[in-house]
Amino acid sequence: MVYYLFLPLLSILLIALQIAVADVLFSGRLVIEISLIAVIYAGFRLDLIKGAALAFVFGFVFDCLVGSVTGLFTLIYLLIFVVSFVVSFVMDTDKLHFVALFGFVCALIEQLLVVLFYNLLMQFDAALSIPFILLPQAMLIGLFAPVFFYLMRRLEVFVYGKPFHRIERSGDSRISAEI
Amino acid sequence: MFFLKNYKSIIFVVLLFLFALIMLSYNTKYDKGGGFFRKIIMEASAPFQKLAHVTVKSVGNSWDRYVFLIGLVEENKKLTKTISELEAELLFYKEGYSETERLRKLLALKESLGYSFIAARVIAREQGALSKTIIIDKGSFDGLKSGMPVIAPPGLVGRVVHVSWNVTKVLLITDKNSNVDVLLDRTRVQGIFSGEGLRGGKLKYITKNQDVIAGDVVMSSGMGGVFPKGLFVGQVRDVTKPDTELFFNISVTPYIDFSKLEEVLILVSEEKGKK
Repeated sequence: MVYYLFLPLLSILLIALQIAVADVLFSGRLVIEISLIAVIYAGFRLDLIKGAALAFVFGFVFDCLVGSVTGLFTLIYLLIFVVSFVVSFVMDTDKLHFVALFGFVCALIEQLLVVLFYNLLMQFDAALSIPFILLPQAMLIGLFAPVFFYLMRRLEVFVYGKPFHRIERSGDSRISAEI
Repeated sequence: MFFLKNYKSIIFVVLLFLFALIMLSYNTKYDKGGGFFRKIIMEASAPFQKLAHVTVKSVGNSWDRYVFLIGLVEENKKLTKTISELEAELLFYKEGYSETERLRKLLALKESLGYSFIAARVIAREQGALSKTIIIDKGSFDGLKSGMPVIAPPGLVGRVVHVSWNVTKVLLITDKNSNVDVLLDRTRVQGIFSGEGLRGGKLKYITKNQDVIAGDVVMSSGMGGVFPKGLFVGQVRDVTKPDTELFFNISVTPYIDFSKLEEVLILVSEEKGKK
């Protein structure tokens, strides 16, 4: 319960921080989307309900604070969470180079979905921003994702005494949503 | 109920998806920038955003200042080095300019006299109280011989006394052993200019009945056979008429500042026309 209570607060803190960092470092042109990395992390490590709640809250807060159409990032974050969740059963998500690559791909997908959304529904051509903003941003996320995962692993070891693994992944239960 | 319990996670996610989709659809169509939840989130996040911004900004500023200071030190070093280099370069150019000026004057003198000259550079000075000589960087290999007159703008410097293969000693006209046959430009009165070291020189053997005043120009007469006629020697500084003696006591200031002499011309032949 504490987790769900603290989730909005945590998401606000994290997104406020990432906006401030982006503002100082890149004058707001690029955002180091730690919230997206956190969603991927949730997809790899957390169970379905907790992870989905995190993705939803992070997406919603991001929508509210970044000022895009409310619901867009909520939907995209949920989508990325589900993809990460599914991928975590097929791939070895402990490998940091995989995390980097997956982070890059997810960021790219996220940005492309946003561009597509604006293009199709708002008739706003944002294709030009792909090489100058979207790619660098995806690369940034690809770079930061392993760092984030490494730090979280250290935190897991600090808190639990060993790296955290989901029950389904450790084989104690069947792969399902019955958590 | 069993279905719901078994698949509650999936149902939860699907519901979230549906909710997000409805929210997106609604906001795409009706969004006017407001929204209750958005307002709440924005209000709640404002203090955090402010705090985060101030913190990150101050860290960034400190870092910038640190980097700026490092850059400043580096830039300062670079600029100091550049200034030193430019100063050295400027000195070099100034030196080149003054040398050019001197050589221009020397060339003008050479052209005006119409003799054949050898140009030489002063490489040393021996200037005691009475002994006044200089060493130049040309010698017998260059055609210099003992007794040759040495000049520099605006007039007479001295004569060659000791010639080595590559260097030569020149006796200045202010040396105690130097005597030059001269005449006064204004009155054409002849006399002998004799060196007196630091005091310049004196004009000898001009009888008291001659017309000599301070400021008269003294030039070589060409009578001694060593120096050609018409070279400026100096200017009469002071004239005294001793009661008991036959001649004037005339002090002469040489035209040339021997302490600043750097290049000289050595007269090696007679006038070109006479050759």
